[in-house]
Amino acid sequence: MKSLYLIKPYLSERRLFIVLGLIFLITVDFLQLFIPRIIKWAIDDLTGYRIDKISLLIYALYIVGISVLIGIFRYLWRRCLMGTSRRVEEGLRNRLFAHVQTLSAPYFDKAKTGDLMAHATNDIQNVRMATGMGIVALTDAVVLGTAAVGFMVYINVKLTLFVLIPMPLIVFGARFFSKKMHRGYHEVQGAFSELTEVVRERFAGIRMIKAYNREQEASSKIETVSKDYIGKNLALVRITGSFSPMMILFSNISLAIVLFLGGRQTITFTITPGDFVAFIAYLGLLTWPMMATGWVTNLIQRGKASLNRIDRIIKEKPTIDDPADPVWPDHVSGSIGFESVTFSYRPFDRSSVAAPVLDGIDLEIKHGNVLGIVGPPGSGKSTLLSLIPRIFDVGGGCITMDSIDIRKIQLAHLRSMISYMPQEPFLFAGTIRENITFDSRKTNESQLIQAVERASLLDAINTFPNGFETIVGEKGIVLSGGQKQRVGLARMLLKDAPVMILDDPISQVDLKTGETIIDTIRAMAGEKTIIIVSHRLSALRFADRIIALDHGRIFESGTHAELMANNQYYAKTFRLQEVEEEYA
Amino acid sequence: MHSDYGYSEEKQLGKPYDVKLLRRLYPYTKPYKLLFLCSIVLVVFITLMDLSLPYVTKIAIDRYIVPGRESIKKNKAVHAEVDVRVFKADMTDPDIQRVVRKYPDLFKIQGASAQIYFRNLVKLNKKDLAILRKHDLSGVTWITALFLTLVIFSFVFDIVQVLIMEYAGQMVMHDLRLRLFDHIQSLSISFFTHNPVGRLVTRVTNDIQNMYELFTSVIAFVFKDLFLLVGIAGVLISINLKLALACFTVIPIVLYASVHFSSQARAAYRILRIKIAEINTRFSETIGGIKVIQLFLKETQNYLSFKKLNREHYLAGMRQIHVFAIFMPVIEILGATAIAIVIFYGGGSVLAGTISLGALVAFLSYMKMFFRPIRDIAEKYNILQNAMASAERIFLILDSTETIQHVGRDIDRPSLSGLKPSDTDWGSISEISLENVFFEYIRNEPVLKNISFRIKAGETLAIVGPTGSGKTTIVNLIIRFYEPTEGRILLNGVDIKKRGVRELRSKMALVMQDPFLFSETVRENITLGRDNISAAVFQQILKDSNCQTFIDRLPDGVHTVLSEGGASISSGERQLISIARAFASHPDLIILDEATSYIDSETEQKIQEALAKLMANRTSIIVAHRLSTAREADRIIVLNRGQIIETGNHAELMQIQGFYYRLNQLQG
Repeated sequence: MKSLYLIKPYLSERRLFIVLGLIFLITVDFLQLFIPRIIKWAIDDLTGYRIDKISLLIYALYIVGISVLIGIFRYLWRRCLMGTSRRVEEGLRNRLFAHVQTLSAPYFDKAKTGDLMAHATNDIQNVRMATGMGIVALTDAVVLGTAAVGFMVYINVKLTLFVLIPMPLIVFGARFFSKKMHRGYHEVQGAFSELTEVVRERFAGIRMIKAYNREQEASSKIETVSKDYIGKNLALVRITGSFSPMMILFSNISLAIVLFLGGRQTITFTITPGDFVAFIAYLGLLTWPMMATGWVTNLIQRGKASLNRIDRIIKEKPTIDDPADPVWPDHVSGSIGFESVTFSYRPFDRSSVAAPVLDGIDLEIKHGNVLGIVGPPGSGKSTLLSLIPRIFDVGGGCITMDSIDIRKIQLAHLRSMISYMPQEPFLFAGTIRENITFDSRKTNESQLIQAVERASLLDAINTFPNGFETIVGEKGIVLSGGQKQRVGLARMLLKDAPVMILDDPISQVDLKTGETIIDTIRAMAGEKTIIIVSHRLSALRFADRIIALDHGRIFESGTHAELMANNQYYAKTFRLQEVEEEYA
Repeated sequence: MHSDYGYSEEKQLGKPYDVKLLRRLYPYTKPYKLLFLCSIVLVVFITLMDLSLPYVTKIAIDRYIVPGRESIKKNKAVHAEVDVRVFKADMTDPDIQRVVRKYPDLFKIQGASAQIYFRNLVKLNKKDLAILRKHDLSGVTWITALFLTLVIFSFVFDIVQVLIMEYAGQMVMHDLRLRLFDHIQSLSISFFTHNPVGRLVTRVTNDIQNMYELFTSVIAFVFKDLFLLVGIAGVLISINLKLALACFTVIPIVLYASVHFSSQARAAYRILRIKIAEINTRFSETIGGIKVIQLFLKETQNYLSFKKLNREHYLAGMRQIHVFAIFMPVIEILGATAIAIVIFYGGGSVLAGTISLGALVAFLSYMKMFFRPIRDIAEKYNILQNAMASAERIFLILDSTETIQHVGRDIDRPSLSGLKPSDTDWGSISEISLENVFFEYIRNEPVLKNISFRIKAGETLAIVGPTGSGKTTIVNLIIRFYEPTEGRILLNGVDIKKRGVRELRSKMALVMQDPFLFSETVRENITLGRDNISAAVFQQILKDSNCQTFIDRLPDGVHTVLSEGGASISSGERQLISIARAFASHPDLIILDEATSYIDSETEQKIQEALAKLMANRTSIIVAHRLSTAREADRIIVLNRGQIIETGNHAELMQIQGFYYRLNQLQG
C-alpha cells in the first residue's frame, strides 16, 4: 500500500490513543469471555445443588461488575480508535482541499466537479471506515475469535472441532458475499447515476419536451430507467437479503452440533452441563468475529482503493506553476506586452483538432494606458484577458510584464500585481462583506465603503435590512445580475494593484449606472494599466487604444476616432448601439 | 405563487414525524397489499421460529441432558438433606436392567424403576451409561433434528420474506417516482425557473430512495423487532412469571436510556449532517470559484476557513462517537444486569425447585435475544427521521399545483393513454393574433407592453429588436409557456386558454437558439420517441434537414449516442438536428429563435437551406437576430423595450426611415 503515506502522519500523531485503544479493546474482549465462565460455574453448581443464595448473588454481582468494566473500557476504546479515524478523516480532507486549490484552471476544465466531490466525501469516508471500524473489527475478530476457540478447546477438543466445521464456511461465505455485494453496489450505483442523469436531462430540457408534447415519451423513458434501477436493486437484494440469513443458518448449524454432540457428551458425563451451556455462549461470541473477518477485509480493501484514488489527485501537479528560478522585479510599473501569442483549448476528443482561439496577438500596453477590446462573441476576448494572470498559459509566443516573461515571475507575485474582474463574478454563499473582502477581519472598513461606493453598490447594499451582512445564498442567488456584477467590481477595486483587467464590467447594469462605473474606471487611467472588454462600445471611448478581435486575431486597432474613421466593425457596431439607445 | 418567478427558498420543513405523511403514503402501498400481507405473515412465522429455538434447547436440557427434577421432592422428603438430582431408570428394559444390576450399590430399585443419584452417574462405565441413558440420547437426536428443521425453515422464510418486502418496497417507490416525475413535468415553466434543476432531480432520485428505506426498515422494525420483543416477553412470562417480572425490572431503564439516547443521537447526527453539507458546499464552491480564489490569492484564507469548518465536523463526529460510546455500553450493562438477575433470582428458583435448569438456560438465551433489537433502535430511528424529511419534501412538490391555468380539461398533464383527437382540437392554423398583450416575469417590471399583431396562415412574421427587447418572451407566450399578464392570444379566433395546451403545441415546432439534446442516439433526438416514423419518412427528414452529410461522418450514423450536452457535435450540427426535429413533428407553425452564435459559413448555408424547406408552405414566426433573415418576411415587427415601435414589410419599413431603416443602414 504505497498511498499509506497519506494517513501516516495522523496515525503517528494519535499513536498513544491507538495503543491505548487497542489495549482497552483487548481487555474488553477478555472480560467478555469471562461472563460465559461465570454462567458455567453457576449452572454446574445449580445442577448439583451445591450452591446457596449468597454464592449465586456473588456470581450475579461478578457478572454486573465485569459488564460495568466492559462498558467503561468499551467507551474508552471507542473514543480512542473511532476518534483516530475521525482525525484521519479531518486531516486527509484538509490535505485534499489544500491541494485541489493549487491546481490550475485546465485541470478543472477536464475534471468533473461531481467526481472531485465524490473524492472529498465518499472516498474519505471509506478511508475513515477502514481505519476506524476496520481496525476494531479486525482486532476484535482475531482476539475474540482466538480466545473463544481457546476456551472451547479447553472444555472439549473433539466437540470444538465439530462445532468449528461450519465456521470456515462463514468466513468464506462472508468474503464471497461481500465481494458480490460490492459488485452489486457498483451496479446499483451505476443505475442510480443513469437515473439521475436521465431525470436531470428531462428537467433541463423541459421547454423542449413541452414544446413538442413529448411528456409521454419522457415518462416512459423514466419508467424504463427506473425499472432498470429497481432490477439492479433487486439483484443486489438477492445477495444482501440471503447473506445474513445464511450466516445465521451456519451459526445455527453449529448450535445444532453442540446440541447433538454436546448434549450426548453431557449425558455421558464427558462434559458438565455447565460446560454445555458455556459452550453455547462461546459459540455466540465466535459468530460475530467470523462474520467480521469477511466484512472487514472488504472494508479495508475499499478503503485502500479510495486512498489510492485520493493519492492520484494529490499526485496531480499544477500545470501552471512557479518557475524554478523566479525573477523578482522590485518595482512593477505594469506595462504589458504580447509577442505573437497563440492559444488553443484542449480539444474535447481526439478526433477533432482544436481551432486556435488566439492567433498571432501582438500588443504593447504602456504603464497607465487603457486598452479596450471589442469583438463578436467567441472571438477570444476573455481568453486573451485570462492569459495575463496565467489562468491559462500561452500556447506560443510570450506575454511580458515590465519586459519580463510572466512565466518567470512567481505566480503569487504576478497575481498580486493584477486585479481582475471576470465576466462571471463568482459569488460564494457567505455575506456580501465576505464576498467583497474574502475575509471580514482584515479589511479596513473605510476602504471597503469606498470600494463599494465606487462600484455604485453602496445604495443597493443600504437598502438590504442586513446591509453588508446580507447572506447572498449559493452563487449569490438573492442578488440581481447587476448587483452581482458590482460585487465583483467592488472586489476588484478593493485590491489595489497596478494592473486592472475588466471583462465586460457593465453588461448587466443599466445605462446610468454603467456610465458612473466607467467614470470610476476612467479616473484611474494614467495611474494604472487598464484592460477592458466591453460589448457596450461607448464604455471604451476613452481608451488610449481599442482593438477589435475576430477569430482570435486583431483586425482593427486604434483610438475611438481612428476606428470610427475606419468605418469597419467598430464603427458600425458603435452607430448601431447609438440608434438602439436613441429609441429606448 | 403565480407572480413569483424569482428564486424562492425552500419552505421550512416542519416536524419530521407526522402520521399524516404515513397516511398519504398508504395509497401507494395498496396495489401491493397482498405482498405486504404475505411479508407480515412470514415475519410472524420467522419470529415464532426464532423464539422457539431457545425453547427447544430448554426442552433438550430438561428432558434429556439434565433430567430428574420430579425426583427432587421425593428425595427431599426421604432424606431431609440438601437437594439432590436423581436419575430414574426404566427397569422394564432388559438392557437397562443389566446395567442396573451391574452397580447394585448405586441404584435403589423401586418397583419398575431404579433410582440413582445424578452425581453418582459419573461412576458408571461410559458404555453402561450410554445404555442406561439411551432414551435421553435418542431424545437428543430427535430434538436436534427438530432444531435443524426449524433452523432451515427459518432460513428459507427469512430469505423469501426479505425478497417479497424489497420487491414491494421497490415497486412502491417506482410508482411514487413516476407519479412525482409526471407531476413535476406537468408544472408550468415558471415553476422550473424558480426551482433549480438539481433540487428537482434530488426529489425524484435521492428523496425517493430515502423513503424506500422507510418501507423496508420501518416495516422490518415494527413487524420484526417489536414482535420479537413482545414475543420474548410472552415466552418468558409463560415459562415463569416471577422470574420474567424480575428481569423486566430493567426495562424502564432501557426505555429511558433509549429515548434519551435517541434524542442525543438525533442531535448529533443532525449537526454532523449540517456540517458535511457545509463542507460539500465549500468544496464545490471552491472548485466553481477556483479562478476567483486564485486570482485574488485567497487560497490561504479559503483554506483556513475550510479547516475551521472541517474541525467543527470533526468535533461533531467526536460528539457522535461519545453518544454512541455511552449508549452501547449502557445497553450492554443493562443486558448483563438482566442476566445477573436470571442467575441470582432464577438460580434461587432452581434451588427452590420452582423452575428447571433448562428454563434457566432458556431465560439466558432469551435475554440475549431481547437486547439485540434494542441496540439497533438508534440506527433505525435515524433512518426513519431521514425518510420522513424526504417524504415531506416529496409531498410538498406533489402539492404544488403550478400548472398553466386553463378552462378546458386537464391539459398540461400528459394523459398516458396518448393523444386523443377530440373536440379540443384546433383544426389547422388559419390565424394567430395577439390582442393588447402585457407580460411581466417580476411584478411591476413589464417585459411586454400592449403588444398586438396578427398573422395569417402561410405568412412569415419576423420579430426584430435589440437584446432584451422581449422577442423571446412573445414566443414563450404563443407556445403557452407563460400566460399573458393582460390581454389575449387567439388561435383561429379562440383564446388559447380555452383549449388544451397539448393540442396547441402539437401544431407548432420550436426551433431553438441552443437546442437541447439528450444523451441518446441522433435518431432518438430527432424523432423524440415517435416510433411511428417509417424508414422512408425518416430518410426524407434527414435529407430535407441537411443532416445526412454530418450523420454519415458519425461512427454509428443515426445510432451514434450523443454525449452529455451534445458536446461531440458542433453547434451548427446541433441546429440541424433541431430543424430535423421540427420536420419530424409536422407542425403548422414554425417558431424559429435564430441563433446568434457564430457558425462556419458552410454549415450556415446548410442551415439556411434546411430552414427554407421547413418554412415553405408553413406559417412561421422568426425571432431574427440578423436583418437579412427579416428582409424576406411578409411582415416585420420591430420591438424595443417591450413595445412595438414599427411594423410593416421590409420595403414599408425602409420607407418610413425609422429604427429599422437605421439598423439596416448600419448593418448593410
